[in-house]
Amino acid sequence: MQSWRRKSLWLALSASWLLILLRVFPVLRLAEPARRQAGAPQGWPRWLDAELLQSFSQPGELLEDGPQPPQAPRGGSCYRGACFDASRCRGGGLKVFVYPAVGPISETPRKVLTSIEGSRYHTASAAEACLLILVLSPDTPAGECHPELPQWDGGKNHLVLSLHPAPCLRIFQLGQAMVAEASPTMDTFRPGFDVALPLLPEAHPLRGGALGQLQQHSPLPGVALIAMAEERGGWRTVGTNFSACPWDGRCEQDHGPKQTHPRATLPNATFCLIPGRNPDALHFLQALQAGCIPVLLSPRWELPFSEVIDWTKAAVVADERLPLQVLAALQEMPLTRVLALRQQAQFLWDAYFSSVEKVIHTTLEIIQDRVSGASAHPSLLWNSPPGALLALSTFSTSPSDFPFYHLQQGSRPLGRFSALIWVGALGQPPLKLIQAVAGAQHCAQILVLWSSKKPPPPRWPETAVPLTVLDGHRKRTRFCVMREGRGTTLLSQASDRFLPYSAISTDAILSLDAHSSLSTSEVDFAFMVWQSFPERMVGFLTWSHFWDETQGGWGYTGERANEFSMVLTSAAFYHRYYHTLFTHSLPKALRTLADESPPCVEVLMNFLVAAVTKLPPIKVPYGPWHQEAKPPLVPGSPRLRSEPRPAAQDCINQMAAGFGHMPLVSSRLRLDPVLFKDPVSVLRSRRLHEPARPPPPPRSSALSQPVCPVVPLFMLPCTGTVRPPGLTREPQEGRAVASSLWPGREASLPQVPGLPGTILEPQGWSKDAPRSQFQGFLLDRAEQSWEGRRWKRRWPLRPGRLRHCRRPALPASSIRGQHRAALPIPGPRVKVAQSCPTLCDLMGYTIHGILQADPGLRMEF
Amino acid sequence: VSGPCRGQWRSVRYPMPRECEEEAVGVIMCASVKYNIRGPALIPRMKTKHRIYYITLFSIVLLGLIATGMFQFWPHSIESSGDWSVEKRSVRDVPLVRLPADSPVPERGDLSCRMHTCFDVYRCGFNPKNKIKVYIYPLKKYVGEAGVPVSSTISREYNELLTAISDSDYYTDDVTRACLFVPSIDLLNQNSLRVKETAQALAQLSRWDRGTNHLLFNMLPGGPPDYNTALDVPRDRALLAGGGFSTWTYRQGYDVSIPVYSPLSAEVDLPEKGPRPRRYFLLSSQVALHPEYREDLAALQARHGEAVLVLDKCSNLSEGVPAARRRCHQQQAFDYPQVLQEATFCMVLRGARLGQAVLSDVLRAGCVPVIIADSYVLPFSEVLDWKRASVVVPEEKMSDVYSILQSIPRRQIEEMQRQARWFWEAYFQSIKAIALATLQIINDRIYPYAAISYEDWNDPPAVKWGSVSNPLFLPLIPPQSQGFTAIVLTYDRVESLFRVITEVSKVPSLSKLLVVWNNQNKNPPEDSLWPKIRVPLKVVRTAENKLSNRFFPYDEIETEAVLAIDDDIIMLTSDELQFGYEVWREFPDRLVGYPGRLHLWDHEMNKWKYESEWTNEVSMVLTGAAFYHKYFNYLYTYKMPGDIKNWVDAHMNCEDIAMNFLVANVTGKAVIKVTPRKKFKCPECTAIDGLSLDQTHMVERSECINKFASVFGTMPLKVVEHRADPVLYKDDFPEKLKSFPNIGSL
Repeated sequence: MQSWRRKSLWLALSASWLLILLRVFPVLRLAEPARRQAGAPQGWPRWLDAELLQSFSQPGELLEDGPQPPQAPRGGSCYRGACFDASRCRGGGLKVFVYPAVGPISETPRKVLTSIEGSRYHTASAAEACLLILVLSPDTPAGECHPELPQWDGGKNHLVLSLHPAPCLRIFQLGQAMVAEASPTMDTFRPGFDVALPLLPEAHPLRGGALGQLQQHSPLPGVALIAMAEERGGWRTVGTNFSACPWDGRCEQDHGPKQTHPRATLPNATFCLIPGRNPDALHFLQALQAGCIPVLLSPRWELPFSEVIDWTKAAVVADERLPLQVLAALQEMPLTRVLALRQQAQFLWDAYFSSVEKVIHTTLEIIQDRVSGASAHPSLLWNSPPGALLALSTFSTSPSDFPFYHLQQGSRPLGRFSALIWVGALGQPPLKLIQAVAGAQHCAQILVLWSSKKPPPPRWPETAVPLTVLDGHRKRTRFCVMREGRGTTLLSQASDRFLPYSAISTDAILSLDAHSSLSTSEVDFAFMVWQSFPERMVGFLTWSHFWDETQGGWGYTGERANEFSMVLTSAAFYHRYYHTLFTHSLPKALRTLADESPPCVEVLMNFLVAAVTKLPPIKVPYGPWHQEAKPPLVPGSPRLRSEPRPAAQDCINQMAAGFGHMPLVSSRLRLDPVLFKDPVSVLRSRRLHEPARPPPPPRSSALSQPVCPVVPLFMLPCTGTVRPPGLTREPQEGRAVASSLWPGREASLPQVPGLPGTILEPQGWSKDAPRSQFQGFLLDRAEQSWEGRRWKRRWPLRPGRLRHCRRPALPASSIRGQHRAALPIPGPRVKVAQSCPTLCDLMGYTIHGILQADPGLRMEF
Repeated sequence: VSGPCRGQWRSVRYPMPRECEEEAVGVIMCASVKYNIRGPALIPRMKTKHRIYYITLFSIVLLGLIATGMFQFWPHSIESSGDWSVEKRSVRDVPLVRLPADSPVPERGDLSCRMHTCFDVYRCGFNPKNKIKVYIYPLKKYVGEAGVPVSSTISREYNELLTAISDSDYYTDDVTRACLFVPSIDLLNQNSLRVKETAQALAQLSRWDRGTNHLLFNMLPGGPPDYNTALDVPRDRALLAGGGFSTWTYRQGYDVSIPVYSPLSAEVDLPEKGPRPRRYFLLSSQVALHPEYREDLAALQARHGEAVLVLDKCSNLSEGVPAARRRCHQQQAFDYPQVLQEATFCMVLRGARLGQAVLSDVLRAGCVPVIIADSYVLPFSEVLDWKRASVVVPEEKMSDVYSILQSIPRRQIEEMQRQARWFWEAYFQSIKAIALATLQIINDRIYPYAAISYEDWNDPPAVKWGSVSNPLFLPLIPPQSQGFTAIVLTYDRVESLFRVITEVSKVPSLSKLLVVWNNQNKNPPEDSLWPKIRVPLKVVRTAENKLSNRFFPYDEIETEAVLAIDDDIIMLTSDELQFGYEVWREFPDRLVGYPGRLHLWDHEMNKWKYESEWTNEVSMVLTGAAFYHKYFNYLYTYKMPGDIKNWVDAHMNCEDIAMNFLVANVTGKAVIKVTPRKKFKCPECTAIDGLSLDQTHMVERSECINKFASVFGTMPLKVVEHRADPVLYKDDFPEKLKSFPNIGSL
C-alpha cells in the first residue's frame, strides 16, 4: 500500500515537473513550425484577382524580337565557333601538326612531343593539319615566348600546350589560340574552348604508367577515413572521429603520426582532402591513383578535362567555408556512394591520367569530339570503363555497338556470329571446317580470307549460310602501299586478319585458321559463353605467360598448365570492335613488330584485349579428338630455356615495353557446359552400353561430327525431333505440335532399321519448310521422366538448322530394354526419339542409341 | 538503391550476446535495491488521511497532462495542413514605395563572380537536409519620384514562379534563416521595366548587401538596338537566372541559364508522338529571321526540295486564329505548333536575342532542335547533356546543315527525339519546372556532395528504371593474399559444425571463421571444446533465430570475400573451396556457388517454377556454400526491397533465392556455378519418404520465386549454360600436376 502511494506521489511529482518544463520551454514542443503572429505574411500570397495579371511578354513579342546580324567576338573572349575554324578539319577529320622543338628541351616537353607524334591524328605536314600545337617548355625564358611561327595567324586553330604553369601564358597575348594548361584558374579558363590539364609530376611516365593502387572495392573497416594534403607534398591521416581541426591546424595532438610518404598512407584512406587555395594539384593525382576520393575544398582551378569528365562521380567538391557541413557529409556518406566514388576515381586514373601519353591523347580526343559534333563520344563512353580513349567514336557512338557496356547495363548481345577463316600462305581450302562451322546454330556468315599463294578454288561447298571469299592479296597490297617506304610486297602479313573488314556484319567474330579443327557443338557452346562475356576473348587453346628469372624477362608457353593468360586467335570468339581497335589505336611500331612473326600477332591481340578489359580471357573445352591437330603456333617451351630464345619469343618483352606494363591477367578456370563430364551420368551411361563399340566411320559428306553419346533420357540437352503422327496445331498460342512443323515430310524421312520411329534428316528442310514456323524456341517436354519428375528443355531453333547425331550402333531394342530397366519409369511413355544432342560431344560421352518417340509426346515452341 | 547510411555500415550493432544482456539485467536490479534503501529517507511516510488528497492531486495533474498534450499536438496539425496559412489578397492592395531620384544604384554586374568569391555560403550554414532556404520579399509597388511605376507590378509567369518557390521545400518565410533571396520585382522581360529605377528598387531591398545571395530571374534580356544577352539592370553580385546568355556574359558556375518560357504551351495540347520517321526532315518555323538566314534557308529548300520546309508569317490570316498559331509556306498554311511534329529536325536560329521561345515548342513536339546561334549558352547546360537531345551547328556552317544532319544514324535520331521530349517534360514544361530546376542547380553547387547525378538529370524515367548499376563496376581482381571469411550459420548441430570447421580450416585462403550461433536456448560449447584451427575463430550469438542472420554485415568480416556455409556441408573438399575462392576473385561481383538451380516459366500455370533437376542451365546457386562480396550482406540487410527479408524470416526458407535475386537485380549478371557438384548431401542419403517432402519443398521454393519476382517487379535472374572448372579438369594430364585434383564428385 505504501509503495503504491509512494509511486503515485513520485508519478505526480514527475508529471508536474514535466508540465512545468513543457510550459516554460516551448522549444520542447514537438510540432515544428512555430506559431506565427497574426497578420504576418506566410508564403507567397494567392491573389484574389490573379486573372488580371498580364503575361510577361506581349503576344507577338516572342516571335518578332527584331532581327539582328550575328555578333562578332568581343573583348578577348573566344569560343569555338568564332576562334576555331572547324571547316579545316572536315575532310579527313582532325589532323594535328606539332611544331618541332627548337634546341634542347627538358624531359616533360619531350614526352609530350613523342605522345603527339604517336597519336593517330598526327600529320607531318603543317599545311594539311587543322590543329597546330605549340608545346611550351617550362624553361623557356620569358623573352622568347613570342611565337614566331609561319602559320600562327593570330593563333587561329592553334593549341598552346603547357604541362606546367608557364610564365609565357601569363605575359603573352595568345590571341585566338586555345590553351591547354595544367590547373588553369577558373577566371581565365574559357569553357568549351580551352582544355584543363592535370598538373603532372616530373617523373610521370610516357606510356603505360603505374597502375591504380586500389586493391579492393570497399574500404577496409577501421582504417583512416580522411587524409589531409599538406604543404610540402605529404599527407596526414586523420581518424574517423575528429572535429574541424584539419582546417586550422590546432589539433596537432589529435591526429596520428605524420606521414610524409604518400604511397605508404594513401591507399588506406577513404577521402583525401585537398585545399583549394594553391593549385598544387599534384595531390589530386596522388589521390586518384590511390583510389582515395579527392575532396576538393573550393578549388580555384578548373578540374582536369572537366569538359568531358563528370567529376561529381569521382570527387567531392566542397566548400571550405562550411567545414562542419563537409565533415558531416563525408562521415555520413552512404556506403553505396563511397564505393562508386572510389572505383570511379580509380578508373579515371587508369583511363586518362596514368601516363603523359594518355593525358595528351585525351586532350586531342576532346578536340576531336568538338570538331565532330554529333558523332562525338556520348557522356557514358567518357565516364565508364574503359574510357573514351579505348572506345573510338569513329567506330560508333552507340554504347550497344561496343563490347564493354553490355555487362554494365545488364544486357547481352544477341544475334549471330561471323566465322572468319584465314587461309595462310600454304593453306588448303578448309572444307571440313567450313562444314562444321556452317552447321552451328548461330552462324550468320562465313568469310574466308584467302592469303594463300595458290588461287582460291572456283567452287566452294554448299553451305546453309552465305560464304564470302575475301582476297587477302588485294587487301594486303593496298595496305602496304599506304605505308611509305615498304612498297607492295607479296609477303603475307599476319595482322591482316585483324583488319576491320566491312564484310563482317555481326558483332561476334569466330576467328579461325584453315587448319583449325572444331566441332559444331563446340562452336555453339563457345558462342553462348561469349554472349555472357562479350568484352572478352573466348578461345579453345591457350598460352600462358610467365616471368623468366633466368632471362630477366617475360616468356610465354603453349604447354598445358593450370593457368593461362592468352587464347589463340586460331580459334576464338571476340567482338568485331577489337579489329577496329587493333588497326587504329595500336602504335604503328607494335603492329610492324607483330607483322614479322605470326605468334607475335596473337600476343599483341591478347595484350590489346587484356589492356582494355583488365580481365583474363576465357577458355572453353576443346575435345580430345582434336589433339592430333596440333596448334600450329606452339612457342618455345620453358624446357628449351638453355637454347637461344627464338625471335618470336622475345616479342612479348617488346610488347610489354610498348604498352608500358604487362597487361596480361591469368585465369585458373575454364567454362564448361553445366553437365560436362558428369560423373553420375558417365556412370549411368557405362551401365547403359556395355561393351562400348568404336564409332562407325564418318559418312561421305565430310561432316566431321563426333560420335554422339548415349545420354540418359532425362538429361538430353538438345533438340528432339519427334514426329507424332496425326497431331495438328493446337489453338493455344505459342504451342504447336510436331506435325505442323514439317507438314508432309513424313514419307521422305529415312527409317532407321530396328527402330519403330523415324529420325529426321536435315537435308532439304531449309528449302521448302515454312521458315516462319521454326522461329523461336523449341520446348521439349517429357511428361514423365526419370524419378517421376518433369523436366523441360529450351533450345533455340533456327530455320533449317536442326542437326542430329550419327545413327545408333547398337540394336535399338536392346537399348530400349536397358533403358526401361535402368529408369524407374512405368508404362510405355519412356520412349523419346532424340537426335542431335548439340552439346553431346562436349559432355564427354557417346550416344549409342536413339530412343524412340512416344506418340503422346509433344513439342512446344 | 540509394541512401544507405555510412554510419550504419561502420557501426552496425548486431544482436547483443547473452553475457551482455545478463550484465544489463544485473545493473537494473542493483538500482532497485538502492532505491529501496534510500526511499524512506527521501519521502515522508504517508498517513491514511492524506491518501485522498494525494489521489486528487494525482488526478488533477494527470488531467492537466492530457490537456496539455492535446493542446500541444492538436492545433498544429490543423495549422500546417491545407491553405489555412496562405494569405489571400488583391494585387491592387500592395503597398506603394516611392523611390527618391537620388537613391543608390547598384554597380554593374561583376563578371568575375564565382560561387566561392561572391556568394556568402555562411548564410546557408549547417543544414541536415542539404537544402537551401529561399526567402521571397513581399510584393511592393515601386514608383519613381514622379509617381510613374518602375515596372508592371507582376506578370502572370513571375507570380507562378514565386508561387512555385513558395510551395517548394526550399521556401522559408524567416528572412534571418534564408540562404537565397528572391526579390518580388518582376524582371522577366526587360522591355517592360525602366532600367535605372528598377536597379534603385533592388538596391533598397532590406537584405540587398551588394546583391549577395540574391537571385534574379530574367527571360527576355536586352533591348534595341544592341540587345545585350544579359539583363541590363545593374545588379552587382546578384546571381542571374537568364534566358539567352552568351558565353561572354554567362558567368560559368555562377549564373544559371534558363529557357525562355513559351506561353503557347499552355494553350495547345500536343500529345507525345513516337519517334518515327516524319514527313519533313528539316523545318524552320521562326518568323523574324535575319535576311541572310532567310536566304540560306531558301537555298537549302531549293537544294533539297520536299525534305526541307521553311515557314514564315502568313500574309492573309483568316479570322479568329491568332498570328502565333499560324505559319505559311508560299500560300500553304500550317497550324503551329502542330506542324513541328511533322519534322525530324527543327531549326532554332538566333534572333535579336539568343534565347528563343521556339526551343521550348520544338522540344515539346519531339523534334530534334538544330541550334544555330553561336555562343548561345543552352538552358540548364550546366547539368543537361544537350549533345543527347540537340545538334549544335556553327552559324557559318548553316549551308552544310543538311549533310551534317544526314550523317546522324537513324537510331541516334530516335534517341534524340525521345530525349528532347523528356527534357521538355522535366524542365521546360511549366514555369514551376523552370524555377525548381534553377533552385536545384544552385542547391547542388552549395551542397555538391548531395548533388543530383548526371543520370538523374538526363536519363528519362524509362531508362532509369530499366538500367542496372553494378555497385562493383571496376574490373578488379582482388589479391589472393586477402583470403576470405567463412560464416557458418548453426543452430545446435555441434558435431557436424565441428567437422565443417575442421574441413574449412584446411582451405589455404581462409583468413577467419565466424560462427553465427542462432540458438538462443542453448549456449555454444566452451572454448576448450572447439577444434583448434590456424585462423581466428569467432562466435557471434544472435538475439533471434532468423535466417537473415547469415547475411548480416558483421564487423568481424574484414575480407571482401565471404563464404557462407551451412553447418552440415561436410562434403566439400578443400580443393573445391579453394577453387571456388579463386573463381570468385575473377568474378568478385557475382555469386559463386556449387549446386546450381534453375527457374522456369510454367506455361500451364502461368507462373515461375523452381527446378532442381539436372539441366543444362543455371540461374541460381545455393548459398549453403557460396562465395560473394561482403557488400551484398549490407544490401541484403538494409536494402532488400519490399518485405522480402521479413518474409524469409517468417517462412524460414528461400533466403538463398532472395540473395540470388538481390545480386542479379543489382548487377544484372548471372551466377557462376563451380564444379560438377549437384547436391550437398550424398545421393544415397535421400530417403524414400523424402520424395513427398521434396515435392512440398519444391512448391514452396516456386512460391518464393513468384513472390520475389512480383516484389522486384521483374525477373532479374539470368540463365547461363556454363559452369567453371579448373583449367585441366578431366583433361588427359597427370593428376598430381593439376592444381585442384580433388574436384569432381557430386
